[in-house]
Amino acid sequence: MSSATIVRVALGAYLLIFFSYLLGPLVVMSLTAFNSAAFPSVSPWACFSFEWFRVLYDDKHIREGIYYSIIIGVGTVILSVSMGLAASIVLTQIWPRLRSTYYTLIIAPILIPGVVLGISTLVFWDRVGKFLGATDGSFLHDLFHNGIFLTILGQSAFIASYAMLVFVARLQRFDPGLTEAALDLGASHTQAFRKILLPFMRPAIASASVLAFLASFENYNTTTFTIIDYKTLTTVLAQKVRLGINPSISSLAFIIIVLTIFAALAFEASQRNRQRKEAIKQGKQKSGSKGFLPSFMRGNPAAILFVLLACVVIVMISVANSYSAKECKVRVREARQIEIQQRIDALKKARAAKELANPGQSQAPATGDKPANAPSGAFGNVFDPNNLTDETQEKETPGGSGAFGNVFDPTNLNNDE
Amino acid sequence: MKKKMIFSEFFRNNGLGMGSLLIALVGFWLIFLIVLPQLSMLDYSFRFNLPPAEQGGPKDFYTLSNYEHLLYGSDQTHQTYNSVDLMVFVRTIIAAMLVTLFNIVLCYPLAYFLGQSKGSGFVRLLVVLLIIPYWINEILRAFALRIIFGESGLLNEALMFMHLIREPIDFIRQDIALYAGLGYAYILLMLFPMYNVIESLDRNQIEAARDMGASWIQIHRRIVIPHAKPGIVSGATMVFMLTAGALAAPQILGGPSSLWFTQLVYQWFNDSLNWQQGAAYAIVLLASTIVIVLTVMRIFKVNMGDIGK
Amino acid sequence: MSSGVAVDLENLWIRFGDFVAVRDANVAINGGDFFSFLGPSGCGKTTILRSVSGFLEPSEGTVRIGGRDMAGIGPNKRPTALIFQNLALFPLMKVWENISFSMEVAGVSAGERRKRADELLDMIALEGQGDKMPSELSGGQKQRVAIARALCANPDVLLLDEPLSALDLKLRQHMRTELREIQQRVGITFIYITHDQGEALTMSDNVAVMKGGVIDQIDTGHDIYDHPATPFVASFVGETNVFRGKISRIDGNQALISTNRSGDLLARITPTQVGKMSVGDDAMMFIRPEALQLGEADASAKTTISAGTVNEEFEGNSFSVFLEGDGGKSIKMSVPNVGQDNISVRGKDLSLHYDANNAIMMPAGELASD
Repeated sequence: MSSATIVRVALGAYLLIFFSYLLGPLVVMSLTAFNSAAFPSVSPWACFSFEWFRVLYDDKHIREGIYYSIIIGVGTVILSVSMGLAASIVLTQIWPRLRSTYYTLIIAPILIPGVVLGISTLVFWDRVGKFLGATDGSFLHDLFHNGIFLTILGQSAFIASYAMLVFVARLQRFDPGLTEAALDLGASHTQAFRKILLPFMRPAIASASVLAFLASFENYNTTTFTIIDYKTLTTVLAQKVRLGINPSISSLAFIIIVLTIFAALAFEASQRNRQRKEAIKQGKQKSGSKGFLPSFMRGNPAAILFVLLACVVIVMISVANSYSAKECKVRVREARQIEIQQRIDALKKARAAKELANPGQSQAPATGDKPANAPSGAFGNVFDPNNLTDETQEKETPGGSGAFGNVFDPTNLNNDE
Repeated sequence: MKKKMIFSEFFRNNGLGMGSLLIALVGFWLIFLIVLPQLSMLDYSFRFNLPPAEQGGPKDFYTLSNYEHLLYGSDQTHQTYNSVDLMVFVRTIIAAMLVTLFNIVLCYPLAYFLGQSKGSGFVRLLVVLLIIPYWINEILRAFALRIIFGESGLLNEALMFMHLIREPIDFIRQDIALYAGLGYAYILLMLFPMYNVIESLDRNQIEAARDMGASWIQIHRRIVIPHAKPGIVSGATMVFMLTAGALAAPQILGGPSSLWFTQLVYQWFNDSLNWQQGAAYAIVLLASTIVIVLTVMRIFKVNMGDIGK
Repeated sequence: MSSGVAVDLENLWIRFGDFVAVRDANVAINGGDFFSFLGPSGCGKTTILRSVSGFLEPSEGTVRIGGRDMAGIGPNKRPTALIFQNLALFPLMKVWENISFSMEVAGVSAGERRKRADELLDMIALEGQGDKMPSELSGGQKQRVAIARALCANPDVLLLDEPLSALDLKLRQHMRTELREIQQRVGITFIYITHDQGEALTMSDNVAVMKGGVIDQIDTGHDIYDHPATPFVASFVGETNVFRGKISRIDGNQALISTNRSGDLLARITPTQVGKMSVGDDAMMFIRPEALQLGEADASAKTTISAGTVNEEFEGNSFSVFLEGDGGKSIKMSVPNVGQDNISVRGKDLSLHYDANNAIMMPAGELASD
């Protein structure tokens, strides 16, 4: 009895650890989106604020990145899904002795590091351009050095393998007799494909498309080489994150997380709804039972959650439009200035004390506590008396590049005033 | 002769139009997106980085110098080794292996728990919860960890609040953030293959073993793990390859002094604009990871066909 | 209306790599016939069917339908329709869409298709079920839909690949009658594949018995049962007792075989072998269980076997009696159930006899192993 309890407790603790590891960072990141502090954090909570969503919305680079990510995503879906489908059909028909070699070839792109795929795509099409004698400025040269074209090809190289796996799983349940039956009844091969195989594969095509789009949308390793002078959302984010972080990225993450949860709930709810309808059809469950919930939510916790979440989001958006963190910010700033003043006083005192004891090393403590070139140096913030002014930001970004300047650009500070 | 027969049968089964379309799509993928690009990268890696005018000229001959650079650095006499790059390479491979092991250990219990308790609402909820982080951008996931591991991040704040430490720990410089981030990045690619194979294990086998007096450890060692082996190896292969080839997490979470091998490749390409040198490094990465994976698959007697299930 | 279209297979060979699936098959199927290929699984009968329907190109030889050589003509261009073993109804289409699929791919308008589908649904007694999905039908209903779908294409030849094997016994017997009726009504050629001799014998005008890619015999069901051409046919179609030995005397169309354990026995030589056998040949003699009777015949007739009862089984319409002859030779005998309380074939030292015309002699050969 007691050993069973121990097992349970251990299991519970393990699940808790696992899911904290998996979800904890996402929760923390989401929370930082609502903290007005300039550095994404939760624990020195300044003010509850929606301002980072505004900063995000105003960010031209992110908007552009999303635009190109969608274009590349659509291109990749079309190319990789059709290649994956063709490859899976060929797999079912290929001569048995060639089968394992062929499978190794079409599964290999999953295992090739994305960096390698990106490089090889870049190098190869550069070569093709040279081989075809495309000169600078000609159409072919431009095409083979076009970030969108190369990224679609580079991503499709491995995303097609993912799509192929989805199709193979579905094709295993396909009865090739159905195609034969259609042919036997006079259908051409194209008709048999369109009217029999394609409808059967439709769910798999849908899920492979979603998978391919997501894989394309979030790909970084390959894209960063092939994108050249364009930007995708991921490369924009990577650049921003590498050069200095700011909560507007958290707010983007929060939006993506909410959309993901919406999608997951919608999928789960529709799944349950279909099961329920099937049960009703087979007479296992009554359809006309009374209740105060609309029928699609009955016995369907996912649907209920979906509706609740939608309400929360709507409320949040309307609050965001009227809510202002201005007063709170003023308060926080005052409080912080007082705190900083106190610390400065304390430091002065300490320095004075040290000077008394050891007059030779007067400068050491001050420089030691203030790392000047740490882009994320939070202590620099704390110790700086004017940490919300433009001047400080400039000081903290030695040789700040365009992207970084943009994160901390004046517009987001203007929001404060 | 035989090849001709295969093709004629293929076109017979698919019709000329559909058959050609299928062959064209698969051919384009395999030839133009996989095989030729890899070959041209290989070719590139044996060439000098020459200005366009000299390409194809007398100076453009095959050379091993790009590979020698990894071994000896810019030392032409080959007296000293390129210890910086070699260390990065070794560290990348070993760390990727450790991350893979860490993922196996962390995922196995959950995969077993999910796989063997079928269909309850709680399990469904857990699966949905698992899928959510999978859909979040790799960069954003690394960013989330950076928030936590940052100098004034949540973890430092919490530890200081609890008076466990007095000064903030520099998790980034210590590479702790990097390893946590790499372990985090591909963990679901370990979990799902394992979960799939364990789910297909007939529960009666476990009960039969228990009935015959096997202990839990024996059940796992003799029944569950042998059954789950293809899934474990498949997951481990993917996690190892992706970790060794990771770029986002090292760029975002790596300390300023320590590099990941992919970052060297990135630098050769984007900073030094020496594609030939970068291609050589990429080839080394690809070849060594493939050799390691094939060796592991040979040792555990797992086929390529098990990957991706 | 026996205006059906003839199907001819001439010197047909089908190979898969080194494996020969069909060896030199020559079959002439009359127009309007119900023709069956009967054989154990793996004998090549389905391969023959697929070469007729066009899914396989023969390695050698010719398939003619209505006198026309079918070489190079794909399944969608041949005047055949195939009913698949698992029926292959399209799961995502409604019943009426399934039935009229051949019209859909030919570009016929939906209204016309629906009309024709409803006619066919009437014919198979499923009126008003056109809007159901195939998964909502019972096994027998699916069977009939598959038949309607094939007939909707107006084929000259209907090919059936063990279509009844998935049904339960009662339904199978019912569908036999129904298939035969449909065939007589539409008057087209049916080619039927089965491993069930009952199906082949009851429905067919002619039956081809196959073994290992070779056609052993083509005949009416009756002739196949009564005058099997090879030991395989004799042992595969129906039950039989086999006696091995050497021929010791030939007397016109009768021969005496000296068996190893049951002494000398007399039998009729099967028609195809009359005049071809000689004394001293290894031979086999076959006697059906129902041809054996209790009692002793004339000693000079050489048609008596001594045996003792081992076991008996009640089969409903008959009793099966299992006996043991001299030297442990096992013999099966069938006694019709005509109301007797018990059978009288019981005891240690019994004598069985038979009419020499009901025992068949032929050169020794391969038997059907069950």
